[in-house]
Amino acid sequence: MAEKKLKRAIGSLQPDIDDILSWNDLPENAFEPASAAEKESFIQDRKSVSYWKDAWRRLRKNKVAMVAMVIVILLALFAFVGPFIVPYSYDQVISGANNIHPWHYSLEDQEKINAYIEEHTGSANLSPEEAVAQAEAEAAARGETLSAVDAAKIRAAAKANQGKGEENVTQDDAIKALGIKAKPFGYTNAELERMAAGESVFPHVFGCDTQGRDIMVRTMIGARVSMIVGICCAVIVLVIGALYGSVSGYCGGKVDAVMQRIVEVIYTIPEVLIILLMGSTLKPIFEEFQNSGDGPLQRLVTLLGANLISIFLTFGLLYWVTMSRLIRGQILQLKQQEYVTAARALGAQGGRIIKRHLLPNCIGQIVTTTFLQIPSAIFTESFLSFLGMGVSAPMTSLGSMCSDALGGLNSYPYRLFIPAAILSLMILCLNLFGDGLRDALDPRLKK
Amino acid sequence: MAKYVLKRVLMALITLLVVICLTFFLMNAVPGNPWLSEKTPTEATIDALNAKYGLDKPLIVQLGKYLENLIHLDFGNSIKMQKDRPVLEIILTMFPISASIGAIAILWAILVGVPLGCLAAYRRGTWVDSLLRVICTVGISMPGFVIATMLLHVFTGGIEGIKFFPALFKGTPESYVLPCLALGFYPMCYLSRQTRTAMLDAINQEYIKTARAKGLRNGKIIFKHALRNALIPVITYLGPQIAFTLCGGFVVETVFTIPGLGRYFVSSISNRDYPLIMGTTIFLAAFIIAMNLIVDLLYKLVDPRINLGKGGH
Repeated sequence: MAEKKLKRAIGSLQPDIDDILSWNDLPENAFEPASAAEKESFIQDRKSVSYWKDAWRRLRKNKVAMVAMVIVILLALFAFVGPFIVPYSYDQVISGANNIHPWHYSLEDQEKINAYIEEHTGSANLSPEEAVAQAEAEAAARGETLSAVDAAKIRAAAKANQGKGEENVTQDDAIKALGIKAKPFGYTNAELERMAAGESVFPHVFGCDTQGRDIMVRTMIGARVSMIVGICCAVIVLVIGALYGSVSGYCGGKVDAVMQRIVEVIYTIPEVLIILLMGSTLKPIFEEFQNSGDGPLQRLVTLLGANLISIFLTFGLLYWVTMSRLIRGQILQLKQQEYVTAARALGAQGGRIIKRHLLPNCIGQIVTTTFLQIPSAIFTESFLSFLGMGVSAPMTSLGSMCSDALGGLNSYPYRLFIPAAILSLMILCLNLFGDGLRDALDPRLKK
Repeated sequence: MAKYVLKRVLMALITLLVVICLTFFLMNAVPGNPWLSEKTPTEATIDALNAKYGLDKPLIVQLGKYLENLIHLDFGNSIKMQKDRPVLEIILTMFPISASIGAIAILWAILVGVPLGCLAAYRRGTWVDSLLRVICTVGISMPGFVIATMLLHVFTGGIEGIKFFPALFKGTPESYVLPCLALGFYPMCYLSRQTRTAMLDAINQEYIKTARAKGLRNGKIIFKHALRNALIPVITYLGPQIAFTLCGGFVVETVFTIPGLGRYFVSSISNRDYPLIMGTTIFLAAFIIAMNLIVDLLYKLVDPRINLGKGGH
């Protein structure tokens, strides 16, 4: 029998029967239990990589997203921690600080400037005879004599200048002539005197506005309002969108058809128009409610501010549509999977299946979409505030600061550029980070 | 085809109805009334005024009456801003200015944005692509009023020696330049991004390879073969962009003090001129919904691959 060995093709996967048969010939003591040390070496200590860790690893590789994240964190610190560091408050009117620039001149320099202005306006305010006498004296000092023509010219000029001397020499001219350099940060004169007396005074880094309020604190508060609006709106959109979308997708059939028609109608409503309308109409409604009594709900409205709530509501009512569509699409795909059938066979209710099986499986998309709602909400809020329908005075937001700055744009351009730059930077970085998040959480989407 | 069109038109009408009802109830939920100005009128005066303008009847009746009038294109009369002047007349005098600025803005956005998108797609991975991507990302991150105010500051004498355009809108061709530039910037960036994506998809298709193999010139391949197909998805973005341009007009008109409908709408809201607010909202909403409808139908027409009967996505 043994001589009749099959000829095997090289690389054949067919088991060698002869070998298998010889297994029976193994001695009794061929197998021994493994020692503890041997068992140990089989266990490899490697932590399982969770979905989030994996995503974080991918995200860290994305340089643009990381830079954007750092800037967003810095902006958040600026907005939330900053107001505690700066000793001014957003509605505090600092006396004598109206319109101060983000730079200042020291007290000595100011004296020099004033002296220069006085000196030069003084000459312009001389009577014609005095002006001629002064010019003659100057000419004599140079060793020349004044011609009659020149004297007549000076007399005419002095006559023309009389009474409007102030306008001839401005502060800018004086600063240019004296070659004085401005020092960074704004201080009022009172603060400069206190500093001279040895006190330490917190500077007005970005200057002050027309009413003497510190612009830096106002920018911080504005950025804070923007971020709060962004985050709250995103959460509202998430909750409504996830509920609606998952119910619509899971139930299917007629329920889905009706729910989707409603979504279609809301989707085609021109949102900006309705947002403007609601932003302005909900505000007085809430203000009236706030003043109507002293219940817990009223207190909540007071705490958040009527205008902020109306922005949240507007957003919540209109922007969940995209989110719900997305989640519905995902759920429609996922509910065909075997594990859902298994869960249903085990007697799980619809709510439990949605909560425990369906939503966690599209978490990547949900997180990304929610996050990208934040910049879009900030964008809309700034638009509303710019048109004067967002937060109301004395509260401020970046959008309303920009619109306040329009009045003195030519004299104080930085009042527009500072909030505008922070706003744009915030939206840009949130967008970039959101894109990075999408690539990290849903690598299939990346091209 | 007819069934699909009918369905879409019906949907648009329902949307419009929803907008009308929403506006109507919101307007009436606002505390306060339009008669509160500097001197407070007496109760009797308010009642008389309410009776005159029909504000004393139940809301549903008021809404029904309003809808009935609307069918005859009667938007009612302004009760505050321009007393007793028909709303439709006010809208029709102001809308042309807003519409012309919007049209010029969207036109330059298309004419610049689409070629830039093609360029970026064609030179993918080079510095041109990166530069354009940076510009477009920044462009869609800047709120409209930032761009508008910056342009206003830079080109109307804010920086010494540069004063090319008038700061106040005078209706002359020069005064159209800045508003249109500001308004079209966002759509331009958006369209160029979308065109780039669509072009990249198109360039990688098999028929481009065929065209190349035939020995066609690059220009012909890009413009005749790729762009034509790439533009189809871009058309879908046009609808929302037209709406955006029209509404972005609110900001631009405020910044450049243009006597257009957008600015008037904003001030009518703060003045609580109910008929004017409703009339303007409904008019603009109808316009936007109609534009979306047209773009949607156009999209189906342009792309023969889409089955109209099913109206699929």
